[in-house]
Amino acid sequence: MTGHSSRAAPDPSASRIVVECVGLGRTYGTGAAAVTAVAEVSFALPTSARVALVGPSGSGKTTLLHLIAGLDTPTTGTVRWPALRDIRRGRAAKVGVVFQGPSLLPALDVTENVALPLLFAGKSADQAMQHAGIAITLLQIGELADRLPDELSGGQAQRAAIARVLAARPKLILADEPTGQLDHDTAARTIAVLLDTADAIDAAVIIATHDPAVADRLTTRWTMCDGRLDTGSAVTGPGAGVAAGAAGAIDIGGDTP
Amino acid sequence: MIGNWTRGLLRRRSARLTATAVGVAASVAALAGIGIFLAAAQSSMTDRAARSVVVDWQVQVEPTASPGGVLDLVRATDGVRTAVPVGFAHSSGFVSSAADTAATTGPGIVLGLPDGYSTNFPGALRTLTGTDSGVLLAQQTAANLHVTPGDTVEIGRAGLAPVPVMVDAVVELPQANSLFQTIGAPPAAQPVAPPDNVILIDQARWHTLFDPLAAARPDLVTTEIHAALDHSLPSDPASAYRVVTASAHNLEARSAGTALVGDNLGASLGAARSDAAYAQVLFLFLGLPAAVLAGLLTATVVATGQVRRRQEQSLLRARGASRSQLVRLAAVEAVVVGVGGSVVGLIVAGLAGWATFGSARFGATTAGAVGWAAAAAATGLAVAASAVLAPAWRDLRRMNVTAGRATVTAIGPPLWVRFKVDIALLVASGVLFWLTSRNGYELVLAPEGVPTISVSYWAFAAPALLWAGAALLIWRLSDLILGRGRRIIRTILRPYAGSLSQTVANSVSRQRRPLARGIVLLALALAFAFSTATFNATYRAQAEADAQLTNGADVTVTESPGNPVPPAAGTTLSAVPGVAAVEPIQHRFAYIGADLQDLYGVDPSSITSVTTVRDSYFRGGTATELMNQLRAQPDSILVSAETVKDFQLSPGDTVNLRLQDERTHQLATVPFHYVGVVAEFPTAPKDSFFVANAAYVAVQTGSDAVGAFLIDTGGTGTAAVAERIRAAIGTSATVTDITTTRGEVGSSLTSVNLAGLTRIELGYGFVLAAAAGALVLALGLAERRRGFAIASALGGSARQLRSFVVAEAGVLIVGGLLAGSLTGWVLSEMLVTVLTGVFDPPPTSLTVPWTYLAAVGSTLVVVVVVVAATTSHLARRAPLTALREL
Repeated sequence: MTGHSSRAAPDPSASRIVVECVGLGRTYGTGAAAVTAVAEVSFALPTSARVALVGPSGSGKTTLLHLIAGLDTPTTGTVRWPALRDIRRGRAAKVGVVFQGPSLLPALDVTENVALPLLFAGKSADQAMQHAGIAITLLQIGELADRLPDELSGGQAQRAAIARVLAARPKLILADEPTGQLDHDTAARTIAVLLDTADAIDAAVIIATHDPAVADRLTTRWTMCDGRLDTGSAVTGPGAGVAAGAAGAIDIGGDTP
Repeated sequence: MIGNWTRGLLRRRSARLTATAVGVAASVAALAGIGIFLAAAQSSMTDRAARSVVVDWQVQVEPTASPGGVLDLVRATDGVRTAVPVGFAHSSGFVSSAADTAATTGPGIVLGLPDGYSTNFPGALRTLTGTDSGVLLAQQTAANLHVTPGDTVEIGRAGLAPVPVMVDAVVELPQANSLFQTIGAPPAAQPVAPPDNVILIDQARWHTLFDPLAAARPDLVTTEIHAALDHSLPSDPASAYRVVTASAHNLEARSAGTALVGDNLGASLGAARSDAAYAQVLFLFLGLPAAVLAGLLTATVVATGQVRRRQEQSLLRARGASRSQLVRLAAVEAVVVGVGGSVVGLIVAGLAGWATFGSARFGATTAGAVGWAAAAAATGLAVAASAVLAPAWRDLRRMNVTAGRATVTAIGPPLWVRFKVDIALLVASGVLFWLTSRNGYELVLAPEGVPTISVSYWAFAAPALLWAGAALLIWRLSDLILGRGRRIIRTILRPYAGSLSQTVANSVSRQRRPLARGIVLLALALAFAFSTATFNATYRAQAEADAQLTNGADVTVTESPGNPVPPAAGTTLSAVPGVAAVEPIQHRFAYIGADLQDLYGVDPSSITSVTTVRDSYFRGGTATELMNQLRAQPDSILVSAETVKDFQLSPGDTVNLRLQDERTHQLATVPFHYVGVVAEFPTAPKDSFFVANAAYVAVQTGSDAVGAFLIDTGGTGTAAVAERIRAAIGTSATVTDITTTRGEVGSSLTSVNLAGLTRIELGYGFVLAAAAGALVLALGLAERRRGFAIASALGGSARQLRSFVVAEAGVLIVGGLLAGSLTGWVLSEMLVTVLTGVFDPPPTSLTVPWTYLAAVGSTLVVVVVVVAATTSHLARRAPLTALREL
C-alpha cells in the first residue's frame, strides 16, 4: 500500500527509529514517459544517525529527501516516523528541511523567517522570536536579524534557512546542499553548528551534498544513483545503526555518538 | 533568439499573456464600442430628426411672385420628392349657431389643402371625429364654436360676405407650431403661438372662397409651397444639417427673392446636431474612463509579474544580454499582447455592435470608421507598450543586475509623491471646474443658422484631472496607511491569525506597493461604476420630474381658453372609473409692467394631493411652507427668479398685476405680495410665471374658470383612464396622460442614446470592478505561490496560510470600497454639474442607485472572497514543482 502511515503507535523496540521507509518509490508521469526518480528504497534511520547522501545530479536525492519529509506522496512503499508523535496529514511536525537554494519568504525579515515554523507550530509570538534569536546567534548572523532576504548574500540566506530549521528543534534534519553557496570556512562552521545542535537535541541528520568535506563530517554515507539508494557506504566513524531493509542496505553498528 | 523567446512565452506564460491581452482587448473594445455607438447614435439621431418633421420645407411665396413659378422652382430642386401649394387665408372670424347656442371666434386662418395632402405629408393631420376630407375644424376651434361634424360654420371674409360651410371632421394639428410659423423671422425672434381658430378645406373650394379676397386684400391671402425631401442624408446630423440648409439657401438664391424657405427639416437637424454633439460629449465623458480603466487593469496585470520580469532581465544581463536585446524581447511580448488584444477587442466590439445596432461600423463615415478603428487599435498597442515595454525600459535604465534580482525592493517614495503631483492635479481640477462654471457649463454651442458647432472640450479637463489626482492620492494614502498601520492591521487580524498576526501585518506592510496599485485600480473601477450609474439614475429621475412637470399629474384635462369651465365640472371627471382625485388649477395671463406672464391659481391645501410639488421647485422656503403661506395669506404670490431680478423685489413687496376681469372684460389691477420664488410648477412653462391662491384670483377677477384639471389615478392604468375621460368629455378639452408624456420625454434624442450607452457602461463597470478585484488578488498571489509552497513545507496549516491571503484580500476590499465610494461620489457631483445642460430640469441633488451599487460592491466582495479561498486552497496544495524551483 502506498502513502504515509499516520499516528502509528510507538513500538518500544523502534522508539529510536526516527524514520522508516519500506519499498519507497516515486515515479513521475505514466507509460513510456514515466520517470522513476526514486526506486524501492528501504531503511530505518535511528535518531543518532549522521548520514551524507551523495550522488550525481538528477540521481533522486532531493526527491528522496522530500519523500522522507512527507512533502511528496510516494508512488510505492511507505514512510513512517515511529519516534515522532505529531503526525498530521501524512507529515511529521518535527522534521526540519533545509531546501536547496533560496527559501526565505521575501516579505519577512530574517528573524520573522526563522520564527515562522515556530509560529506555525503554535508558539506565541514572544516565544517564537526568542527561539529565533537563539538560532540566529548560533549561526552567527545576528547582525542580519532585521534584513530582508533580498538584502542578504546567498550564503547569509542559507544560514538563515538553517537557523530556521534549528530554531524549531526538529528530531530529523534533512538538508539539501546546505553549504552550496558558502565558502569553505563558513561551510565548515555552519556544518559544525548544525551537527552540534543535532547532538544537543538528539536529532538525526541527513545531508545531501557534493562537498567531500561535508560528507567526511558525517558517519554514514549513502549513495544515490538513478533513483536507487545504496546505504552500504563505508562508515568513517562511530555511527548509528541502520537496519537493513532492502538490497544494498548497510547495517551500521555501534551506539550513536 | 526572438523566436525562441516568443515560443517560450507562449508555452510557459500563456496565462499571463492571455490576461494581459484580455486587458488590452477590453481597452480596445471600449474605445471601438464608443465609436460604433456614436456612429449608430448619430445615424439614428439623423433618422429620427428627419422622421419627426412632417413638412420638410414650407416655402413662402412672396406677395408679388407667381405661386406656379415658385412651385416649379421647388419641384426642380435636387432632393425634393414632392411639392404642393397650400393656401393661407386670414378670416375675420368664425360663427356657429349649432343647436341653441351661438358662438363667435376671433380672427382665424383658413388653409386650402391640395388633394392627397395627408398622403404626401402623413402626420400633418389627425382626424379626431368625422371623415378624412372636406371641411376640417381644428380641435380648439371646434371647442370654441361648440360644433361637431354636421354642424354649419360661417367663415368671415374681410369686406366680403361670410360663407357657410358644413363641418365634415374635427382634426388635431400635431405640428401646428411649424405649420403656422412666421417664415423668415430672425433666429432670435420669439416663437409665435399658432392661431386658435383654424379651418382646413380643399384647395378648389379655398380658391373659390378666397381668390376674390386675394384680389381685394392681397395682404390677407398667401401661398406656401410645402415640400417633402429625399431623406437619403449623411448619417451624421451635422453633415445632414449642412446639406439641407445649403440646399434651402440655394433655392432662395435661385428664386431671386420670390421665395423664403421655412426649413423645418434643417431646424430639426440643427437640434439633432446639438444633441449629437452633446451625445458625443456624454459618451466621451462616460465611455473614455472605461477604456482608461481597462488600460490600467492591463498595466496592473503586467505589474504583478514585474518582480519575475526584473529577475529574468537581470539573469539575462548577467549572462551577457545587451540592453537593446532585452528591449527587443520586451517589445516582442508587447507586440504579441498588443496585436492579439487589439484584434480581439475590435472583433468583440464589432460583434457587440452588430448584436445591438445591427451594424459594426466604427464611424458614421468610411473615413471615420477606419480612423476610429485605427485609433482604437493604436490605443491597444500603446497600452501594451506602456504596460510591458515601458517598465522594462525603465528598469534597464534605472537598475543594475543586483537590484533587478530583488523581490521586495527597498521602499522609497516615487518622485511624484515628493512633488505632491496628486494634490496639484486635484487643485487644478477644482480650478478648471470653477472656470467651466463661469460660462454656465455651456458645453455645446450650436448657434442657429451657423453651419458649425463648437464643443467646449475644456470641460473634460476637470473630471480627467480629478480621475488622475484621485488615483494618485489613493495610492499615497494606501502607501501611508499600510506603511504605518501595522499595529492596526495586527489588531484586526489577531482574532483570525493569532500569534501570526504581527508577521502577517509586517508582510502586508512590506508589500504595500503592489497592494496600493490594486487598491487604486479597484477604487477607480468602483468610482467608474458609481459615477456612471449615478449619472444615469439622476438623468432618469430628472426625466421623470420633467414628465411630471410637463403633464402636471397622472392625467391632465386642459380646457380650451375660450371655453370657461367652472371647478364643479370636475365632478364629471371624478365619476370616471379609475379617477382617484381631481384638482382644478386656474390658468390666466397677467401683466407685470409690460411683461405678460402665465399665472396659475391653485388651492394650496389640496394641490399636493394630486401632483408632486417638490422643495426644489422653490426658493425662499419649502413647498409645504410656501403653500401654507399661500393659504394663510391669500394675496401671496410666488414669482420667477427673473421677475425678482427685473423688478428688484424683496419678500413682502407689493406686486400689482393686471388681469382680465371677467365682469368688465377689462384689465384690472390686482395687488399681491411677493413671498417666494418658484422655478418649476406642474404644467407651467419654462418662461417666467406666477403661482397664486385660486380663491383670491377668482374673487379679484370675478371668474373661477379652470385652466386644467389635474387627475390622480393612483399611478396605474393612466392611459386607460385618459381614454375613458376622452370618451366622456369628447373634444371639448385636451386630455394627456403621464405615460405618453413620459414616452415623449424619454424619446428625446439624448435620452434614448444615453439609455443605450449607460446599459453598456453599467455592465462594463460591473465587470471591470469584479475583474479588477479578482485579477489583482489572484495574480499577485499566484506570483507568490513559491512562498506559499515554502510556508506549507514549513508546517503552515490551511488557516495559517489563509491568514496571509485574508489580510491582503481584506486590505484590497476595504481600501477599494472606501476610496472608490468617495471618489465615485465626488466624480458624480462633478459630472452632473458639468453636464447640467443635458438635464431637464437640472437636478438639485444626486439620485444614487443603491441597488446597483450594492450589487457591484457585494459582487466585488464575493469575487475577492472566492479568489482568496481558491488561492488559499491551492497554496496549501502547491505543486512540488514550486518547491523544486528552490
